[in-house]
Amino acid sequence: MRFYLTGLFLLSVALISGCAGIATDEPELLPVSDNNAVTVLADAARVDAANGKLDAAAASFERALRIEPRNPALWHELARLRLQQGQYQQAEGLAARSNGWAGGNKALRAGNWRIIGQARLKRGDYPGAQSAFDKAAEQAN
Amino acid sequence: MENPWFDKLRHFVTRKRLRLALLSLALLLSGFVLYLDITVRTQFEGKRWALPARVYARPLELYPGLKLRPEQLGAELAMLGYRDAGGQLDPGSFRQQRDEFTIATRPFVFWDGAQAALQLRADFGGGHLRSLTDLKMDKPVTLARLDPLLIGGIYPAHNEDRALVRLNEVPPVLIKGLIAVEDRQFYTHHGVDPRGVARALVTTLRGAGLQGGSTLTQQLVKNFFLTPERTLRRKFTEMIMAQLLEMHYSKEEILEAYVNEIYLGQDGNRAIHGFGLASHFYFNRPLSQLDLPQAALLVGLVKGPSFYDPRRHPARALARRNLVLQEMRQQQAITQQQYVTARITPLGVAEQAPGGTSLYPAFVELVHRQLRRDYREDDLRSEGLQIFSSLDPLAQFSAERALTTRLTQLEKARRIPPKALEGAVVVTNTQNGEIQALVGGRNTRYEGFNRALDTERPIGSLIKPVIYLTALERPDTYTLATLLDDSPLVWRERGTADWEPRNYDKVFHGQVPLRLALANSYNVSSVRLGLALGVRQVMDGVHHLGVERDLNAYASSLLGADGLSPLEVTQMYQTIASGGFRVPLRAIREVLTADGQPLQRYSLSVEQVIEPGPAYLITSALQGVVREGTADGLNKYLSPDLHIAGKTGTTNDLRDSWFAGYTGDRLAVVWVGRDDNQPINMTGASGAMTVWGDMMASLDPEPLMPPAPDNIELVWIDSATGHRADESCQDVVSLPFIHGSAPVETAPCATHAQGQSIKDWFKRLFE
Repeated sequence: MRFYLTGLFLLSVALISGCAGIATDEPELLPVSDNNAVTVLADAARVDAANGKLDAAAASFERALRIEPRNPALWHELARLRLQQGQYQQAEGLAARSNGWAGGNKALRAGNWRIIGQARLKRGDYPGAQSAFDKAAEQAN
Repeated sequence: MENPWFDKLRHFVTRKRLRLALLSLALLLSGFVLYLDITVRTQFEGKRWALPARVYARPLELYPGLKLRPEQLGAELAMLGYRDAGGQLDPGSFRQQRDEFTIATRPFVFWDGAQAALQLRADFGGGHLRSLTDLKMDKPVTLARLDPLLIGGIYPAHNEDRALVRLNEVPPVLIKGLIAVEDRQFYTHHGVDPRGVARALVTTLRGAGLQGGSTLTQQLVKNFFLTPERTLRRKFTEMIMAQLLEMHYSKEEILEAYVNEIYLGQDGNRAIHGFGLASHFYFNRPLSQLDLPQAALLVGLVKGPSFYDPRRHPARALARRNLVLQEMRQQQAITQQQYVTARITPLGVAEQAPGGTSLYPAFVELVHRQLRRDYREDDLRSEGLQIFSSLDPLAQFSAERALTTRLTQLEKARRIPPKALEGAVVVTNTQNGEIQALVGGRNTRYEGFNRALDTERPIGSLIKPVIYLTALERPDTYTLATLLDDSPLVWRERGTADWEPRNYDKVFHGQVPLRLALANSYNVSSVRLGLALGVRQVMDGVHHLGVERDLNAYASSLLGADGLSPLEVTQMYQTIASGGFRVPLRAIREVLTADGQPLQRYSLSVEQVIEPGPAYLITSALQGVVREGTADGLNKYLSPDLHIAGKTGTTNDLRDSWFAGYTGDRLAVVWVGRDDNQPINMTGASGAMTVWGDMMASLDPEPLMPPAPDNIELVWIDSATGHRADESCQDVVSLPFIHGSAPVETAPCATHAQGQSIKDWFKRLFE
């Protein structure tokens, strides 16, 4: 019985922390694909991005996208990278592309709208940014 | 004996004058030598060989789950020149047993780093690569690349091609052979071999012409600095320059220059220079991997690459090679055992020269043009840049085969003189805009007129999707169900004759639902719609989709009177196929320097120019063209389950036949017509579409299932009235609408409550 309770406790902890992962809305922490080739490329891209090798990271994401062109998580991460690089128009386009394939993935959609909002802010389009952030908030409901 | 003339001469030629004359001659000579010295030094030190830019196809990515058939991998390996190995697997060879390949890949430096040579086992099943294993490490491989196919070069003046090598990459046995045959005293002479000169002098005096006796240094001088004329004066200059060269540079430096400079073969108008490239050209392997008989063959070629060409004159080449081996044996450069073994080895020359004169000149030309935007022409022809393109040789093969075989069939079927029909094909990836294949004419190896880029033909009905897209961007007024007026129309415009557009079937169709007017490509209703929207607005729409050229805005422009190239049409349809995102078409992925350093990347770029809703609707309408419109014949080639979207285009008097269409993964545009612009008596469906169908059928297309944007709903519509229908109606169709734009009227056949969407309709079914 005690084992059972401990197990239940551990399970709930795992569930809560899992939910927390989703709630903090970091969709890039989820596995991007069940295709290992794509996962390997995305991981390499993240490492490159973390080390400031942004162009190499973009190249790996594009390579992954050739394998899975309909993977919204890949489009999203490439959008985030472009935002980081200051390529705001590209960031917005790529995030919109991600939204096209995102289906019912609300967390990802919200993330994309935030990228669009930030890109618009940087370009001085304040009303546009506000409407994008509103859309991001809508996804949370 | 008195000779007054002789006396005069003796009187004139005093000692003083003789000295003066000799001195002037010496001065003159030293001036000449000084001049030669400067020439030799500046040129030798400043000598940078012009290296062509090399263009590669995309590397084939291998990973478990990849959609690829064994025969496609076989075709790729054959194109790359991989040998079917019986025994040992060297890099660049493979073995196949049914659906299992064992491949020894070649090492290659890619944009993102080097991939060492691998030994891979690839298992196929169900049309997919099932597993990939590293045989040396005995573990699964997630992702590996084959080396990319070399598809051409952008060559320097005189079309000299070479692959530079350092002296330490040259097999010692090749150097030994070279010295044994061409210049035995190389390491001891000072540029000129007196015995050689004496020998040459004797043959020359015997009247056998000027020949032989050249040291390697002299040969280098001849190639480097001098013209090929054979005069005594030139021979003299050559000897002085050779000695000057030896004074300033080491034997190794001279030898390294020699192995890179020497002319060793011809491939069309491309000249093969240096042993580095010759090794690839004749044996399809790097110089460092050559064995003794192969090295001996290359050494033998120095004497006459054309006369001893191992592909055209194998017997002669074999005899020459064995002579080289014999010389090497006599000079003790090789052992008796080596000699005996090498002599009985076959020539081993690769049947086909790799790369070189491009198999895909039309595509390489496109690459060249895109590069010219960013690079100077001189740099492209001299810096040895490595260009990684997006060409997919498998798609290119399908496109070429479909075009050439279909054009021949069409000529026969329609009594068109043979070779009169021409065509062009462009194939792209719908998602990232990479050009995978490009055919510039039916003679696909021809480096001339590139129809895919340069022919400008009226696009006919290919313009219509732009009219309908412009309409669908106004959901308050136009939906797929909106009835259009297809009754007679007279267009009067000041300064032009009255214009009365007609339909292809010469019938007016009255009230036609918008989607069917497009599906059947009705001219009259389309023109009327375009006029209502504004011709300028429609033509702006063409620009919006990515066409840059200036366009007319006459009423006739609405029927595609303006000329575009197949590539421009592709750009226009790319935006539609990618769901309203303008994605610039790209043929280049990356550019590396000659020594493999990343220089530039052409990255994916997307910009949303059409709202997701209208973009979704126009694709849906174009799927209708194939399902039930002018392109329904495509279902003979490809399953209707692929939901392909497309549009036929036919121009006045049937001069041009177009088809543009896309699947879930590829967009392709095909043009068929005549260079002299004579009628070909074909519609878009009977000409270009048959090419498109053949090609796509061999490419295993992905089904087209665009995701529906949030603001799209499906509504049942009564076909007769275009109003809302329900289960009691007979002829109904489910159509997508932007929220709030579906008709509010209910068809007379519908008995239930108004304004129900398809969801409610299903709900009621199960209640």
